[in-house]
Amino acid sequence: MLKLGKNSKIIIFILFIVYSIIIITPFLNIVINSFKTLGEIFLAPFSLPSQLRWENYKETWNKANLGMAYLNSFLVSIFSVLGILIISSMFAFILSRYTFPLRKVLYLYVIAGLAFPARLAIIPIFIMLRDLKLLNSRIGLILLYMGTGVPFSVFLLKNFLDDIPKELEESAQIDGASPWMIFTNIALPLIRPALVVVAIVNFVSIWNDFFFPLILISDRSKETIPLAVSVFYGEFSNQWHLLSTALWLAVVPVMVIYAFMSREFISGMTQGAFK
Amino acid sequence: MKIKCFYFCVFVFPALFLYTIFVIYPFISSIHLSLFSWVGVGAKKYVGLKNFIDILFGNFKGEFFNAFWHNIYFFIVVSIIEVSLGFLIALGLASQIKGYHIFRSIIYLPNVISMVLVGFIWGLILNPQIGLVNQFLKFIGLSNLAKPWLGDPNLAFNTIIAVNIWRHLGFYVLVMLASIIGILPDYIEAGYIDGASNWQIIRKIIIPMTLPTAQTLILLLFIWSFSVFELVYALEGVQAGPFRSTDVLGTLFYRTAFGGLGSARMDLGLGAAIVTLMFIFILPVSFIYVRLVERRRQ
Repeated sequence: MLKLGKNSKIIIFILFIVYSIIIITPFLNIVINSFKTLGEIFLAPFSLPSQLRWENYKETWNKANLGMAYLNSFLVSIFSVLGILIISSMFAFILSRYTFPLRKVLYLYVIAGLAFPARLAIIPIFIMLRDLKLLNSRIGLILLYMGTGVPFSVFLLKNFLDDIPKELEESAQIDGASPWMIFTNIALPLIRPALVVVAIVNFVSIWNDFFFPLILISDRSKETIPLAVSVFYGEFSNQWHLLSTALWLAVVPVMVIYAFMSREFISGMTQGAFK
Repeated sequence: MKIKCFYFCVFVFPALFLYTIFVIYPFISSIHLSLFSWVGVGAKKYVGLKNFIDILFGNFKGEFFNAFWHNIYFFIVVSIIEVSLGFLIALGLASQIKGYHIFRSIIYLPNVISMVLVGFIWGLILNPQIGLVNQFLKFIGLSNLAKPWLGDPNLAFNTIIAVNIWRHLGFYVLVMLASIIGILPDYIEAGYIDGASNWQIIRKIIIPMTLPTAQTLILLLFIWSFSVFELVYALEGVQAGPFRSTDVLGTLFYRTAFGGLGSARMDLGLGAAIVTLMFIFILPVSFIYVRLVERRRQ
């Protein structure tokens, strides 16, 4: 790698400190504001709260419907990710391990989905879910996320499988193992690292998604976290202490998980979007 | 290996089915719908190419091209800044500074936060009277630099771009970093042995070898630039104020298809026509991207 003199290293180090401060400050701002009164936010923007006002948290949690929203976000994300893992790994397994007519065409058909933002096709999705009575439904969201998660997940898993030798599976087949046994007993354990990447990438994007819930969910009891905060933001636009609390409560779980697993997140998301 | 038809169907069907009905069918259906006028209920009225004519030449032209050029401007500014700055920061990280792992984690952090929440967080900070940015500028005696960041039509869209860069830059840094680390150390070592300066190493070895990555990033950015929505929604609302100065195709499309007061016309067919034009625009780039992805695998 580059060999730099001591002085340039110090300058670069300082620049990274500045950059880190620019990233951290917005989060710090909402944390500090979440403990202040409205008056303190206006009059003493840079000072620490005079006392920790935990009542902001209680008030926000109830008014912003966050308990329900957390449950919905959790259910939708978990079941979507599980669904994606199952259907995509089965599909990728077939694409990578078996020969059949039109295999290449089928593969290109699926990865074509990598090249278009799925949200552009929202009108027919909206109409279809409406006609199926799946608007305002967690199941509707889950099915949609499973469908839109397929191209990326199949692409990643298929490529991962392609790099693994298939001798083991071939001998298992000669011994009379069914494709199902080969898949669950041999292939799945081998692709575990890729499954982790697929799970993380999809989980983050589904957990954070705002666009689909905005259009497909209008019932407050079905809101996910970003939608609940957005609705709260519209209703309490002047209550900065409560808005800050809501924003902080919405981002803190992701930040905690990230703090423990940043390496997995980073390797997953960069190779994910990019392989 | 060969496989029986039964197993083939069981393994392939679920993913293929969901993908087809939630991705492929909606795209084709959007194109079909763009030939109709429809408010969402009742009968569709076939209007042929009228929607497209309205958008490109008729009374919807101003609104459409206003948003369209914002998307293009967004793409140009963001790709120049994110790719070049991402490269520079990645170079810094790659030169074995102290705290490498911590900096890497902090830099990537905004990428795991929901876009719309990022918008709201910055909305508080950029508030003209009580937001942190202007308070800070006043505090250090630069009160003439304290501006209505989101309220001035000349500033608002650039402010949104800046917030977007804050959210995404880490991704570009880490992709460029992976590309730089992927260069064989021998190349750089050989350069040093031949007496090359750091600047020469960067220009003659690192830049040429990371160029393909930068190119792919720019292709992706082009595709992603057409799905900009959340930040405008969170910071300026669906009306994309002030005076539509932050309007992008995403918000225009949202107003057209799903209403919102002040939309020039509410019509799912017209919305579908906007989206169809976006497909046509993205299609060549998508095609190159998929081919590139495929070729890289072989």
